[in-house]
Amino acid sequence: MHELLLFASVPVHQRHELLQQLAGLTAMQPRHCLERRLIFKAYRKPGLVTVRTGASQDLQSAELQRLNKMLNGGMYYTQVVGSVSEMDFGGAGAAPPGPDDTAMTDTNDDANAPPADQYDYAHQPWRLEFRDIPEAGTRSAVTARVMSSAALPRGDIVPPMNAWGYSFVTEYVVEGDVFIHNDIVIFLHRVLHYPTTDQEYREPRRQLPVFKDMAPLEKSGSYVLQASITVQDGSNQETMKTASQHLFGLREQLKSAVRLEQADRLSLDTRAK
Amino acid sequence: MSALTQDQIKVLEQSRQRLVQLTRSLGSLIASLNQSDPLPPWSSLQSQASIISNNLLGVSEQLSEHGDLLSALVAYPGPEYPGRTQSSTLEQLLRTKLDPRVEDWLSRGRVAGTHDPDSALHADQNSTAPKPLSETQLAELWEWAPLEANEEARRRNWGGNFTLEEREAGVQNVVTGLKRQLEDDEGSEGEEEEEEDEEEDEAEAEDEEMDIVGVHRKASGGLEFDIATHHAHALEPVVPLDEILRYMTTGRMP
Repeated sequence: MHELLLFASVPVHQRHELLQQLAGLTAMQPRHCLERRLIFKAYRKPGLVTVRTGASQDLQSAELQRLNKMLNGGMYYTQVVGSVSEMDFGGAGAAPPGPDDTAMTDTNDDANAPPADQYDYAHQPWRLEFRDIPEAGTRSAVTARVMSSAALPRGDIVPPMNAWGYSFVTEYVVEGDVFIHNDIVIFLHRVLHYPTTDQEYREPRRQLPVFKDMAPLEKSGSYVLQASITVQDGSNQETMKTASQHLFGLREQLKSAVRLEQADRLSLDTRAK
Repeated sequence: MSALTQDQIKVLEQSRQRLVQLTRSLGSLIASLNQSDPLPPWSSLQSQASIISNNLLGVSEQLSEHGDLLSALVAYPGPEYPGRTQSSTLEQLLRTKLDPRVEDWLSRGRVAGTHDPDSALHADQNSTAPKPLSETQLAELWEWAPLEANEEARRRNWGGNFTLEEREAGVQNVVTGLKRQLEDDEGSEGEEEEEEDEEEDEAEAEDEEMDIVGVHRKASGGLEFDIATHHAHALEPVVPLDEILRYMTTGRMP
């Protein structure tokens, strides 16, 4: 699948107005969303596979070739995204004082299960989002890249990711609002940091801090406006062209409010060095 | 055909002198424009222009004063003129028709000189060059301009010494051309209150009411309110978009 994108920076004071404008344009209310995003980086497992390459008489099977490509090809950063809600935040440290009272009435079977209003890392759904580095040398003024998403098992995602050769780098939370305009997904979002603690996190947090303590990456609290279209068949020039036309149409409609632009290709470079 | 008198020769000599002066001052202006980088200061350009203008005036006076004589004179080569070696100069001198370029200048000059507003209609059909406005057109322009300027002014949120664009780009970068420092103060009290609000709690900025900066009557009757589209204190993003995207992709801190 391919993804076509345009970006714009939105100062915090313009956000409210822009939300209203987008609501009017798309004829829908913003869908607020919060996502935990875990960054994983591929690493080469030492001594894993060193298949000889070059002229060999016995042609490798297609399966083996694919495996080789996966293991020895480019190394990429990839994201694991999990949707959360604001309710999930604030469970940091000790459990809320309530459970003690309710535990009296609970049956023993439920004793291990956390209360419904508390964040449950073990049941957190995840999805893997792979993004390639944007295509180089395209004439059109949109960012185009290969993308792919896949559902992952719930709960602790680090062991499976490690098994696939990915190590955890860092995580952050993305807060934003989604609009759908025909085939365009408009996402007005910003990055939130976890509050800094002495503890260095080598793995994803199992508890989320109070939401108020989350600090925006951009100190002034500005937002990023992202308009994207997903194209199933990226090799079809016709559909790619139509999609960029639609994005340009949106850019024209929003021209007086924000300036949607192609992103710097290298800033979206997902290759791990 | 009689020979020239002393007086007539003197007139020719004077004309020659004036023309030489004119060509010299034109030449020096061209040279100074061509050679000096950056361009010469405007004061020197202006003084050169006034010198040229004086020279032109002198030439013109001289020519019109002795017009009778000059138009009656005929040039012809004397027997001792070195016709073989100086043939090009001779041809130039004996030429009775003007250079085509000079013809063009002359015709343009004549048109400009005889043009008057009453014949504007006639001239419009002949050329596409910009014409001076006629009296009625000028009156129309003056009637239209204040209304339009007022409309334009109403679209802006007035007060303070700087425009919003300038403030967003950083007041210290603005080239005012003034020696004194302009204060970047806010015009109305409403904005000052807003400023305090924003300092107290940034998050509240999202919920605060819109500012009404102007009221005017609609054509259909009833009032129309102008709403401030921007807050005076714009918090511009500090981290560039690229850095945010890079962090989102690889987790590398900006």
